[in-house]
Amino acid sequence: MGKRLSVAVQGFHPSSFLSEETARLRELAQDKKVISAVSGGVDSTVATVVAREALGDKLLPIMIDTGFLRVGEPERVKERLAKSPTSLKVRLVHASGRFLASIKGEGTAEEKRKKFRETFYQILKEEAQKEGCEYILQGTIAPDWIETQGGIKTQHNILEQVGIDPASTYGFKIIEPLADLYKDQVRMLGRHLNLPSELSERQPFPGPGLLVRCIGNVTKEKIRVLKEATKIVETSLAPFNYEQYFAAVIENGFAKDPSLKTIAETASEALRLPKSEVHVDVFEDRVTGVKGDQRCYGLLAGVKLSEESRETYGWLQDKLRQLQTGIVEKFPDITRVALLVKERRGSGTLSILVRAISTRDFMTAAVSPVPWKILKDIAQQVLKEANVTRVYYDITPKPPGTVEFE
Amino acid sequence: MTTIPVVYVKGQYNHLIVRNLKELGADSKLLPPSVSLEQLESMNPDALVMGGGPQSVRSRDKLTGELADAARLIRQVKMPMLCICVTHQLLATAFGGVTEAARKPEFGPVEISVIDEGRILEGLGPSFTAWESHNDEVVRKPDGFHVIAKSSNCSVEAMRHEKRDIFGVQFHPEVSHTMKGVDLFKNFLGIVEEHKRT
Repeated sequence: MGKRLSVAVQGFHPSSFLSEETARLRELAQDKKVISAVSGGVDSTVATVVAREALGDKLLPIMIDTGFLRVGEPERVKERLAKSPTSLKVRLVHASGRFLASIKGEGTAEEKRKKFRETFYQILKEEAQKEGCEYILQGTIAPDWIETQGGIKTQHNILEQVGIDPASTYGFKIIEPLADLYKDQVRMLGRHLNLPSELSERQPFPGPGLLVRCIGNVTKEKIRVLKEATKIVETSLAPFNYEQYFAAVIENGFAKDPSLKTIAETASEALRLPKSEVHVDVFEDRVTGVKGDQRCYGLLAGVKLSEESRETYGWLQDKLRQLQTGIVEKFPDITRVALLVKERRGSGTLSILVRAISTRDFMTAAVSPVPWKILKDIAQQVLKEANVTRVYYDITPKPPGTVEFE
Repeated sequence: MTTIPVVYVKGQYNHLIVRNLKELGADSKLLPPSVSLEQLESMNPDALVMGGGPQSVRSRDKLTGELADAARLIRQVKMPMLCICVTHQLLATAFGGVTEAARKPEFGPVEISVIDEGRILEGLGPSFTAWESHNDEVVRKPDGFHVIAKSSNCSVEAMRHEKRDIFGVQFHPEVSHTMKGVDLFKNFLGIVEEHKRT
């Protein structure tokens, strides 16, 4: 253990990082005002606190309410950051109507992300003009630019690294104090800055928020259901210390491609169960994955086992891993596999997916072994929503999945 | 200080290699594969690590862009070299081996069986869990190389040159989910330091 610790210290020193970075920020800003885009997440909070150390009152933190945040989140973040030791005065910009209008009719993940990015920077441009700011500061970290540059997915905060010049496109320049760091290093820096653990150890929340957990077309109803499911999943899984845990929503439309016909057979072979006990539905809406360093916008297989087998296999992570690799190896178009936890009859049109992962740096992720009983409790609560008929547990690591679904 | 640049072929984990090397006390940064030999030498590097990437090296295809540049580096560079994932396949084809589409592609955790630890896999045997992400694989090793690890799906998970300090691994030692991945980098650093002394 001692050895590992000294190894980590050798690579990254929060105190020397802080003194170098604050000096660089002062040099860049030259006493002018800088807007900081805050989401309440670890990255933007730490970036903002680092910048405040350097720029003091010249730093103007703003938070954009995109409408894709958790219930009550914007107000909660504003209030929390106003308290000591962060003591940041965050201004809220309400823009949920604009975001919803901008992604209307977009069903594919990348288009949704790009429209989100466009609206996000248009708003920042307006704010920068109002304040007469030349610089926008944001909490970009290493995986953001690595995934965007590699074509895995468009992170909303990446411009320069993919050839968009913010100065000529939006009229401002971008500062990214944390661009070379990974999540665990950002948390280390947060602890060094004395942030309370509820801020420094907070689970990540994607920039485009619930937008990328609302698979396919976005409707107000899907977002409403997702917000409710998010509350249930976060409350139920908070005690387990998984690095990230959340809900996603997908419509119950299923692919009828004949090449997928043998998938139930593959699943039953992988689990060594009789064919009669295994049923597989492949969802029509696509989800993001990564195979061999390439983006793979593929299909999601929902595996249903007979109730008795489910009770046994739901606890057996090794078996679930065999199920997932068995299917993904054989069907190149399938990127992710989920196991049905519970379903109910009824006219609802939606399924909820539960995801929980363990990771150090979010570059790779293992499926967290959520106790089957907890998953059933979550499903029981979520199925009270009239529009939800099924609850699944995502059993895909990254790779071939990604942490988020879009 | 030992200087080991990492050739960036657009793989997601290339920057994590830099992180690993820095945490072990070496000096490292990403370099584009288009770097010239003179530019490279001006940095006084002691070794080179090449990362993974999204392109394909199947033997019959003509190499383009980053991989063509990386193949040139593999042929020109005389210092110790560690090639990961797609550049492991590139290393194989550059020395006369064959890379083809994998019969069973591997994504996520894979059990690796060590055939011959040698210096580079010292302490990693008899087996360990590594994370992978590949559609292609080396199906025939090049002459002059030893196969030192395999998995149930892939027969060449790791190889080393018989005489020179050149190594190729199909798995990703740089990701935190690979057990003992750090040890592989430590072993490589040890080899590089010894090479510096002689």
